[in-house]
Amino acid sequence: MGHVLRQWRVRAVLVVAGCVAAASAVTAQTPPMEQLRREFEAMKKQMREMQEIIRKQQGTIDKLTAEKSAPAAAPKAPSGPTVADEERIKKQVTEQVMRNLQPSLTAANKTFPSQFNPAIGLILDNAFSYKEHERGNFEFRAAEVGISANVDPFVRGYAILTGSPDGFNVEEAAIVTTSLPYNLTLKGGRFFADFGRLSKFHDHDLPFVNRPLALDNFVQGESQADGVEASVLVPIPQYLTLTAGAYNKLGAGNDRADNTKSRDFSKFTYLGRAATFFTLNDANSVDLGTSYAYTPEVEMDNGAERHLAGVDLTYRYTPLSQAGYRGFIWGTEALYNQEDRPVGGFPTAASTALLGATPLGFGGRGTGPAPVLAAATDPMAPLVFKRRDAVGLYSYVEARLTRRFYPGFLFDYAQDIDHVAGDTLAYSPYLTVWLSEFQRLRLQYTRLEEPGNRENQFFLQWTVILGSHVHGFRDR
Amino acid sequence: MKRLLVSLLALALLAPAGRIESESKIKVVATIPDLADMTRQVGGDLVDVSSIATGVEDIHAVPMRPSFAVMLNRADAVVLLGLEAEHAFLPALLEAARNPKIIKNAPGYIDCSVYVTPLEVPLSIDRALGDQHPMGNPHYNMDPVWGKAAARAIADGLGRNYPEHQATFQKNLDAYLAKLDAAIARWEKEGAPLKGKKLVSYHPDMLYFAERFGMEAFGTIELRAGVDPTPSHIADLEDRMKRNKVDIVVRELHYPAGLAETVAQATGAKLVELPAMAGGVPQAKDYISFVDYNLHTMLKAVQGG
Repeated sequence: MGHVLRQWRVRAVLVVAGCVAAASAVTAQTPPMEQLRREFEAMKKQMREMQEIIRKQQGTIDKLTAEKSAPAAAPKAPSGPTVADEERIKKQVTEQVMRNLQPSLTAANKTFPSQFNPAIGLILDNAFSYKEHERGNFEFRAAEVGISANVDPFVRGYAILTGSPDGFNVEEAAIVTTSLPYNLTLKGGRFFADFGRLSKFHDHDLPFVNRPLALDNFVQGESQADGVEASVLVPIPQYLTLTAGAYNKLGAGNDRADNTKSRDFSKFTYLGRAATFFTLNDANSVDLGTSYAYTPEVEMDNGAERHLAGVDLTYRYTPLSQAGYRGFIWGTEALYNQEDRPVGGFPTAASTALLGATPLGFGGRGTGPAPVLAAATDPMAPLVFKRRDAVGLYSYVEARLTRRFYPGFLFDYAQDIDHVAGDTLAYSPYLTVWLSEFQRLRLQYTRLEEPGNRENQFFLQWTVILGSHVHGFRDR
Repeated sequence: MKRLLVSLLALALLAPAGRIESESKIKVVATIPDLADMTRQVGGDLVDVSSIATGVEDIHAVPMRPSFAVMLNRADAVVLLGLEAEHAFLPALLEAARNPKIIKNAPGYIDCSVYVTPLEVPLSIDRALGDQHPMGNPHYNMDPVWGKAAARAIADGLGRNYPEHQATFQKNLDAYLAKLDAAIARWEKEGAPLKGKKLVSYHPDMLYFAERFGMEAFGTIELRAGVDPTPSHIADLEDRMKRNKVDIVVRELHYPAGLAETVAQATGAKLVELPAMAGGVPQAKDYISFVDYNLHTMLKAVQGG
């Protein structure tokens, strides 16, 4: 009778437990985050315990094995474990561990259906600027979302989406191959073309607050391009990469062509680049690169060809044992631009509005005064084009004094590509303070000397990184 | 003239032979010298091993050189600590190397942490807690027992890629583990005076060492892993160290000297300067001598030598 009663009690307990479990399951259909977190932590704890058990049991097995294989100094105990025993123990341990672990693993897979989501990061870039003539301004520069993941065994994809005062912009959205033979990589979509060094950096990644004038005037912003690019790591002992690309146009702010309009092959921009690297010794190295972008026919330049060439050199001093808090970098890039430009420059919106004419839609990004001399006099008069060439360069040095403080100095020089205004020069001492790996303050003073404008400018930039981040090879 | 021609001909014949011999070896790139040494021990004559770090670097800030990309481009396998220890340089180098054989999760990607039970696995992932390693503290190379686990992972990894040599790798592994076991037995005896001693290190990379030798990792000079200390943190740390009678301040050699010295002087603790990898000091020329050096340097400080 007592036995029957005990059985009933056991059954009752099981029924109650089953009800509780069912209720839990119902509740778990929409599990709150906290519960998921607890379950995950419990699971991790359980896994750690399992690992510890495995470790201990492995130790026991090792010990038994060692005893068994020890020289026969002592007489072998008749009850010592045999190879079969060891195998049996190992099998039992494995089975036991898997039995305990499997439900957690299965649960984990069910609990995290989002685990295939791409890595996501967000960069916030803000600055306060004060310019003698324009006065002060709090600038929200950009909120930039980066998304990246492997697509399949053959390619990966990434996108950089930027919200800024200019609106929403897809800065990059590209597909990159990961497993082509012969050290080849193919990239397609919208991306920063492999021209020069800093033109491939997003604004917030630059070592200083503003993009160097030469890059801004010649490349016109980042080297953003819609197109396709192939690069190869040449299979020789010396590091050498070669890149070839074809794009609608080169430069985020380049108004010479429109991304939305089809064109002849002669109106695409074609690029070639070679980059190499020399190790001087453990602490000193030099990167050297040369780039050339060729557009056979630029419609707004009277159908003439355009050449844009650059040489970049980066010297680095990085003492191996102190790389985190000591170092020095000297980066220089020189650019040469040659194309047909109208004498006196393109009419600007201001000059044409003044005379009631329709602007050509090219305002130019020159830093000098608006090139209005010829056009302003008569914007409807046919433009007279002339072959123009111009050079620009920037050079900067930056020291790493501690893990936090990176002072530097940037020198800028740019000629006006229209030959209307004179040269522009700028001198910018700056101090970057890394409050942590993910938060940076930068203070910069710029003395700008452009035709018709000489002024002092002050900047305080505050940049943070949230979420996923990568240390790119390009950013080294 | 005839003799010269014969010599040149012989050279021409011999030179490619030498190259073929070296090219027929399995090319392995290890991220740190500890793993390079273990790979040589396990791979024996079958492998040609290079290391990215020399041992004096901070594992979290190894400078990326394009020449490493060339090295990785030609590698048959890459051997790494894992647990994201190398996240500051290895993913980018692997991308630049364009070698599908060794990209993450490919057979040639040999992660030595697979048999390690990590310490300090974070319960929540939050940047406010510093530069966290989501899978746990990656500095397990400081503990020779986990060194054994790394060696086993290397043997398994090489065997996975070259099953025809598995027996050789296993034989070499057994010999190396026997050598390590003997050293560990000796270190455990020698390390007895360290039991119960408290240490503060610059970065949380002494946890495994402390646990192995019964020491207590009391805190770090860094505010959080990877975050430079603030004056208030140092003041608080010094106060707690004095109250808790911390014995040792460890400066890993790739961190600045000044602050660790100041903290040691302010608290009366002994300053010990240790490498975090083999090759970090001339005496630590391989993994066993690296552990030897760290243990004996620590013992010297504790015993007042």
